[in-house]
Parts: sequence; structure tokens; C-alpha cells
Amino acid sequence: MSANNEPKLRSKSASIRAYSIMVYVVVIFFSILAVIPFWFMFMNATWDTMSIQRGIKLWPNPNAFKQLGINWENLAKRSTFSFAVGFKNSLIISVSATALTVYFSALTAYGLTVYRFKGRKTIFAIIVGVMMVPTAVNITGFYRMMSAMGLLGSKWPLILPAIAAPSTVFFIKQYLETSLSMEIVEASRIDGAGEFYTFNRICLPIMIPSLATQGIFSFLGTWNNFFAPSILLSRNEDKTLPLMVAQLYGDRYTDYGMIYMGLSASVLPVVIVYAFLQRYIISGVAAGGVKE
Amino acid sequence: MARANNNGKRKSMSYTRYGYIFIAPFVIAYCIFSLYPLLTTFWYSTANMQSATANFWGFSNYEAYYDRYLDLTKLYSDSFDKDVGIKKADYVKIRNFFAAQDKADAYDPLNEDGVNAIITNGATGPITQKAIDELKQALDNKDLSYLSSDSFKQLKDWKSQYSDISLVVSQKVASIYTQISAIATPATDEEESVEETEAVTAESIYTSDQYDEFVANLSSGEFTEDQVALMNYLAAKTGKATLAEYFTSVKNGEAAVEDPLFYYVLSNLSKPNAVNAEGKTVDGVSVPFIKNVEEYLTANGWSDMITALSSYSKLTGYADGSIDLHDDEETLYTDLETLHNAGIINIVKLEVKNGTVTESQDAKSDSNCLFILRKFIDEKYVSNENELATAIQITKLAAYYEDQGRAILVGMKIPVDKYITYSGSFDINKYFDFKREIGLYDALNYDKYKELDKARKESNVAKAQKTIEEAEAALPDAQAAYAAIGGEDTKSKEYNTLKKLELSIVSAKDTIKNPVGILGKVDARYVYIFSGLENYASIFASKTRFNTVIGAFYNTALMWVIGFIPQILLALLLSAWFTDTKLHLKGLGLMKALMYLPNVITAVTIAIFFRRLFGYSTGGTLSAAQQVIVAFGGEPYNFFGSAWATRFIVCFINFWMWYGNTMIVLIAGITSISESLYESAQIDGANSFQTYTRITLPLLRPIILYTLVTSMIGGLQMFDIPMNINLNPALVNFNGTMIKSIRTILIYINEQAFGRQDVKLVGVAAATSVLLFIVTTILSILIFYIMRDKDAAKAKKALKKGGTRG
Repeated sequence: MSANNEPKLRSKSASIRAYSIMVYVVVIFFSILAVIPFWFMFMNATWDTMSIQRGIKLWPNPNAFKQLGINWENLAKRSTFSFAVGFKNSLIISVSATALTVYFSALTAYGLTVYRFKGRKTIFAIIVGVMMVPTAVNITGFYRMMSAMGLLGSKWPLILPAIAAPSTVFFIKQYLETSLSMEIVEASRIDGAGEFYTFNRICLPIMIPSLATQGIFSFLGTWNNFFAPSILLSRNEDKTLPLMVAQLYGDRYTDYGMIYMGLSASVLPVVIVYAFLQRYIISGVAAGGVKE
Repeated sequence: MARANNNGKRKSMSYTRYGYIFIAPFVIAYCIFSLYPLLTTFWYSTANMQSATANFWGFSNYEAYYDRYLDLTKLYSDSFDKDVGIKKADYVKIRNFFAAQDKADAYDPLNEDGVNAIITNGATGPITQKAIDELKQALDNKDLSYLSSDSFKQLKDWKSQYSDISLVVSQKVASIYTQISAIATPATDEEESVEETEAVTAESIYTSDQYDEFVANLSSGEFTEDQVALMNYLAAKTGKATLAEYFTSVKNGEAAVEDPLFYYVLSNLSKPNAVNAEGKTVDGVSVPFIKNVEEYLTANGWSDMITALSSYSKLTGYADGSIDLHDDEETLYTDLETLHNAGIINIVKLEVKNGTVTESQDAKSDSNCLFILRKFIDEKYVSNENELATAIQITKLAAYYEDQGRAILVGMKIPVDKYITYSGSFDINKYFDFKREIGLYDALNYDKYKELDKARKESNVAKAQKTIEEAEAALPDAQAAYAAIGGEDTKSKEYNTLKKLELSIVSAKDTIKNPVGILGKVDARYVYIFSGLENYASIFASKTRFNTVIGAFYNTALMWVIGFIPQILLALLLSAWFTDTKLHLKGLGLMKALMYLPNVITAVTIAIFFRRLFGYSTGGTLSAAQQVIVAFGGEPYNFFGSAWATRFIVCFINFWMWYGNTMIVLIAGITSISESLYESAQIDGANSFQTYTRITLPLLRPIILYTLVTSMIGGLQMFDIPMNINLNPALVNFNGTMIKSIRTILIYINEQAFGRQDVKLVGVAAATSVLLFIVTTILSILIFYIMRDKDAAKAKKALKKGGTRG
């Protein structure tokens, strides 16, 4: 909407210019505020503890690479923090959970959109209804159930529930209603394709934009999840990255460089992924008001 | 919406069953992983989960809230006058009176060092010479009554002003009093402050002469199978053949009454709802034989000591708030009267008339009831430390009886060494072995259960074999009798007898094949035997609000509000600027991306980072925030030492993580507003501000409401950040208050159900979850309506276009 009015408004003199400078200052301030902690984190990871104690470091160490190596080694020595193990566990859980969420949510959304079966509307209403019920509420029952099944410390309790993700179903269904035409399904049937074939080979590709967005959010949600893993996982070798990070405190003799190293290591993969996917993430937020 | 022609519609009818197949995985997974746990959470919330598997516990968990926090109304209820016997207003006055009195006493004016400190420091302070003289006199004569009430008031006021001096006083309070108060508040958990622990009170000793009756009953009484199992289990612990034998030996003095085993047996047997070996609650056997202990105490000349000590500990309990006065006021009066009548203390008689409390004139000073009590203890027992220690121990013992094992299970954790010191002869290793063996603090040893299971099965098989033998022996007679009446009457007595015998043989054979043990009935891994802890409502009795559910709800709501208000305001401002056509900001995409970044980063990392940033160390190391303060010439400030500073840090993190998100949602909302509205506004000559307030804000209202509700639901689940700001109390000099100030609902649930404490209050955690669920449900319904309106609007639009499928 801005394009048409632009020239006219540009001419509107100094007061607007002053106003816009003020706006820029504020907006840039908040943009910087959003990233400065990460900058701080990364910079301090390149310093040794002694230097950090002497003063806050907002610039990289001249010997950054050497110190990074030392900090990383110190980090690796910690018995409670293993980046490799945490990363691996987080990755396994997040990838599996995301795959399950995306596939089964697509399946459910498709089932609710394409087939006119009885109770369809009720089921969808229920899905919308339970969308906001947090998993944390049933944690007592969930924990005891998993305990009874001997699944404490296992990854299954963190992966399998991903099959039922009401909000993902909701958003995929929203997408399907606007972008899936029944003609495609009909055509596929006429060509003799089975229902599952139609879904997997023909309709699933159509859904990809929506699935990608939902997949990103599902992945981030699982990756950052702390509550359920903190309750279900207790052995170090089972822990996910957030749980490892949570153990990254120390006493007063702590190696600060090492702590910042650990924090940076946990942040960096997400930042890199975000750098590539931010466009989709932001449009996803804008489209659905996705909030975990 | 896709348009389907009639042909397609008819065809798709035959495919409808695939709809069920397609949604089946979702429905099944949801039922298993969300619905079932949710329902069991509801179920647990009505169960006493401390003792065993989910025994039905009614609404006790809810009552706990009600009683402790919402039940102030009960105090002022209409039936109060009748229940308590005095007027409500009078009661409140008496209560306040006692509270003030006990607080005043906490001053401990007759400690020598303390008094000297007061005299030295007070000479330059606001204390008059008269007061100092009186204080000296009081010290010399060891009698507080030399202190006039004027002077006392001065000291009290002064004390609050000069807390360092009062600190000297309180630090110098003789160790004997510390020991005594240890009775009132035993066992503090490593981290949690004293206020967390419910006092184990030594109430008046229960007396009864039913002991012999009880033993007789144990030997000959009719018991259910479960009760027998329980008794056998306990008897096995004692090393005697039967419980009756054990109790007789205790009575005869062969077994030490101090033995924890004794409390254990007692606590498991005597509760109204004892827990049997199978983990089930059974009707307990009533064991009122404290008389035995009383005899023991009296024989050793400790009876008045016990009374004094127990009353003392109770009075201090009122003073420090560990005992709720309004729960106890009746026994308080009785205690005081007993002590008064025994000449141990001189109590002021209170007369209540027409809403005013008057003191009777013949009484001595009103504030020295506790003091005289202390003096009595000093004079009589302090001279002999061992005797006092023993007496204290005995008081504890009495408390254990009164408390039915709770003390040993909760309180003994730390005092056990004290206990050992006092009793001297007791072998600590034996005690710990015992504890380990029965799994006192942990879930019951699974192997133990297997053993029990095996034993149960064996006994069942033996029983069944016996049944078969007996039945087979009786069978020929029965057959003969039935044959004698002709062998055709299927309604005859003989026929019934015969069939009964045959059936019992069949079922006994079944039993031998598949003997029923314990494990088949309950999952023993979940059987907790915190049997002395049935009254977990007492955990809630802690007066400190922030330790509690209500405190947690309050914290959560508070931190959400403080974080949300700046967040939504900033997001509104930024979104207005970002969509302002006149400004036409450049780099919008980048800014959006930067502002949204904090939202995708693991919250735990951010929490740990901020803890580093604001942490405080006395070791000469300054964190970033401290360095900034020092650079500007300030003193290092312990952020995490202040409840509000910590809350603000949590709020700031929430604000910082979410303003970008809210902004993006709002931008999307604004850009979806029809452009023609803005155009016509512009033609009408509206400026940016007018356009914003007249068009943008009203049309944005549903989106703002949506943001509000989703943020609220998210805020209710606040966990990661406060939990990790809080994780290691040692690091950031956390004190008790600190932890409480940011304890959210989920942290509370987590602590209760999965915390490190010995007693996991799963029922309470579940009840809290249910409350959270209710709140969330209300909010969800709200958001459902908001979203449904949107859908309805969409559907209407679709209807107009004609693309409907019916």
C-alpha cells in the first residue's frame, strides 16, 4: 500500500524526516537489543575467564581461535555437559517428532478436509478446543504412565506424542481448505490410484509449503523443549541439549569462558538455521499467530 | 474451498470410511498420550498419592487449598461462635493478643550477653535511663517483671530499628533454647528454609488403658486378610513371631521404646488408615497405648518436664507461625491452664465481655509466660545437661506418638544424629540399615515386594491345598447323602453341599495353578510407604504464601503481567511504525528477523546466560551487570538476592523474547486491514494518529485479544526461565525468599511430583495441575470463540461465492 503514496509523502518536508529519524533510532535500538545478548555470548566465548572477570567483552579476542579451542576443551571435560551427546539426543528427538507431527498432522488434516464422514465437524471442533490445553497439565499422569511402561529415560515418550499435534492439524487444515482442490483427488481416483497413494504421492507435495512452516515450528518447539525432558530424562547420556545447558552453571571458580562457549554452542545451530529459514518462520508467525 | 460437482460428491461418499482411517492415528495417539494422562491426573488429584497407589481420597487435595488459604471465611463463619464458644471478635482479639505477646517474647531479654549489648548500645540510643536500669535489675534478678511495660515497648521498637543489635541478642540466645526450638521446628530440608517445615508438635500425651485390650485383640481378633498381611509384615520387621509378642516385650521393657522400629510399627498400625504391605489402605487397628510411654516417663521423673517442654515448643510454634493458632487455640488454653495450675507459669487470665478483652488484676506481667517457663526449665534441668537432653528426647518421643510416625518419617532426616547424641546408646548404623531395608524414604524395594509376593502365593497355594484335602475328604459323604435322597433334587440341601465342595476343589485347583500374589494387584514400583504422612495438607500449613500454590499462581500471573504490558505496548508501537506508509521504513525484513530471533533460541540458554549476566559472587568476581554498576560508581548489587529484582529479570527476558513475535502478528493484522479504509481516511484528511486510533486499533482488537489470550496461556506455563534462573541456589546466593518469589505453577508441580524431596506429593501436584487446567480451559474457550468467529465469517463468505458442499 505504500508504493502509490510514496512520492507524494516524501516531499512532505523536514518534520517527517525528523520523525522518521527518531523512529529509526528506536527501531534500530530494539533490533540491536534483540541480538546484543547473542553477540555478547559469542564474544565472551572467545575469551579466557581471567579477561572476562576483568571486564565485559564486546569484541572478539585477538587470539580467538586458540582460546575457542581451549574453552571447547574445558567444556568437553565437564562430566555434565557433552555437546555431542546432547546434540545427538536433541536431533534424534526433534527430527523424529517433527517427522511424525508433520506427516500425521497432514494425514489428519487431509482426512478432515477431503472426506465427508460423520462427526467430522465435531472432531475438528474438539481438535480446535484441545489445541490450547498444554501438555504440562497432564504431566503427572503422563509421567506415571511412562514410568509404568518402563519408558523413563527413553526417547519414545518425547517422540510418540508428536503424532497428535492439534495446532499443527489446525493450521494444515486451514491451508488445505484454500489450496487443495477436490478435482486433483477426483482425477487421481479416476486414474485408479488408492487413497493412500493419492495422499502420499499427489496431495502431500501440494501441502509442502504448509508442512515446511509447521515442520520448522514443530522442530523448534521440540528442540527448545525443557519441561517434559527435564522430568522424564535423568541420566546424562539421555539428556537433550537444553538439559545439558541447564547444568552449565558452576560455582565461584567457574570457567566463564567455558560457560559462554557452551551457551554459544547451543545457540549457534539455531541461529544458523534461523538465518536460512527466517523468511518462512516470520511469514508462518504472521499467518497463523503460531504460539507454543 | 474446492468445488465438487454432484458426480464427485456421490463418488466421494464411498470413500468416507477413509476419513476415519486417516484421522485414526491422531485420535489414538491423542487418547494415549494426552487424554489418558489427563484423566489420570484428574484421578490422582483426588487420591492420597503419598501412601500408595491411587486410593480414593475425595476432595482432600482441594480441601487443603480451601482450608489453608481460602478458608479464612471459616474463621468468620456463622457457626464459629457455637463451635469455639467465644465470639468471633473476641477470638480475633485474643489471637492478636497472643501473637503480640509471643512476638515480644522472641526478644529474649534476659540473655546476659544480649542484655549487656542492649545496655551498652542503648545508652547512646533511644532507650531511656529508666529502661536501662530496669533491664539491669531484671538481669540481676533473672526476672522480667522488673521491666515496666513502657520500657518493654521501647526495647521492642528499638529492636526493630536496630536490627544488628537484635541480631547480637538473638545470636547469643543460649544454646539450650536453640535446642528447645529444634523441637518446635525439627528437620529442615537442605534447601528449603525453616518455614517450609511443618512443626512437629508435642501435644499433650495421649492416655489410655486399652493397651492390654489391644494386645489381646491382636492375638485373637478378627482381621481381614490385608490386615493380617500388614501385621505379619510388621512382625517380621521386629523379629518376633507375632506383633502381639513384640508389643508385650515392649511393654515389659525388653525392647527399647526409643527404637525407631517401634514408631514405625506403631505408625503403620495405629493410623486410621494404615497402609498394608500390599500398599493398600486398610482400616487400621487402633493402638492407643501411649499410656505405656507415659508410665515410662513418669517413672523417670520427667512428667512435668514433658509438659513444660511441650507447651514451650508449642508456644514458640505460635510465635514463629509454624502452628496455626486458630487450629489450636483450644489446646493452647488447656496447656496454659495446666501449666498455670501446676505452678509452672503464671498466666494472665483473660476475660472477654462485650467484645473487649480484660486481664484479671491478680496476674503478674502479661508478657512473661514463656519467660517463666524458660526459667523453670533452666532451674530444674539446665544444670544437668544430660537430663535435659534426655527430656528433650522424650518430648520428641511423645511427639512421635502424637504424630503417628510422621516425625520419624519427615523430621528424623536431620535430627537423627541429634537423636543419637541424646539417646547415647542407640546404634546409628542399625537405624540406617533399618531405614534402608524398609525403604523408608524411597519407593518400596521392589525385591522386597517380590519376596512378599512369593510368600503370599505360597501361602495361598498352601491354603488351596488344604481346601482340596478337606473338600475331597468331605466329598464321599456328600455324594452318599445326595444319593440317599434319590440324586435328582437339584434344589436340595444335599445337592448344594455337594456342588459347593466340587466348586471349592475346582477353584482351589485354579489357585494352585495361578496363585494370586501381591504383584498382580498393584504395581509395587509405585507403592510408597510414606504411611505416616497421610495428612499432607499439613505441608500447606506453612504460613509463607509464596511457598504455596496460591503463591505460585500469584507469581506466575504477576510475572506474566509485568512482562506482557511493555511487550504489547512496544509491539503496537513498532507495528504501527512498520506499517506507516509515510515513514516507509527500510530494512523492515531484517529488523523483523532480528527482533524475532530471541524467540527461537532455547529459553534455557537465555536463562542461564542472564544468570551469568546478573549473578553475584562474593569471591571478587563481578558479573557483567555488576561491572556496569561498578563502572558507574555504584556498589555491586545482588540482583538475585532481591525477590523483585529477580522477578524483573524474568519479566524482562519474557518481554525480550516475545515482543518481536507479538509485533509480527500485529503487523500481519494491520496489513490485512482493507486498504480502501486508509485511502478514504486519507481523502477525509485524517492524520496518521487519527488513522491509527480510529481505524487500525478498533480493527486490530480481535488480534490483540488473541495475542493476549495466547500469551496468557503461555504465561501460565512459565517454567524454563524461572526454573533455570533458580536452578542452583548456591551459585547466586539464593535464600528462601528468593526461590519463592519466582516459583511458578509448573515449578510447583514439578517440585511436588518430581522434586528431590523424600515425600512426593503427587496428589497435590495433580490437584494443582487440575486448577491450571481449569484456568487454561477457560482461556481456551475464549480463544475458541475468537477463532470461531473468524471461521464463521469465512464460511459466510464462501457461502456467498456459492462454493459450498452442503
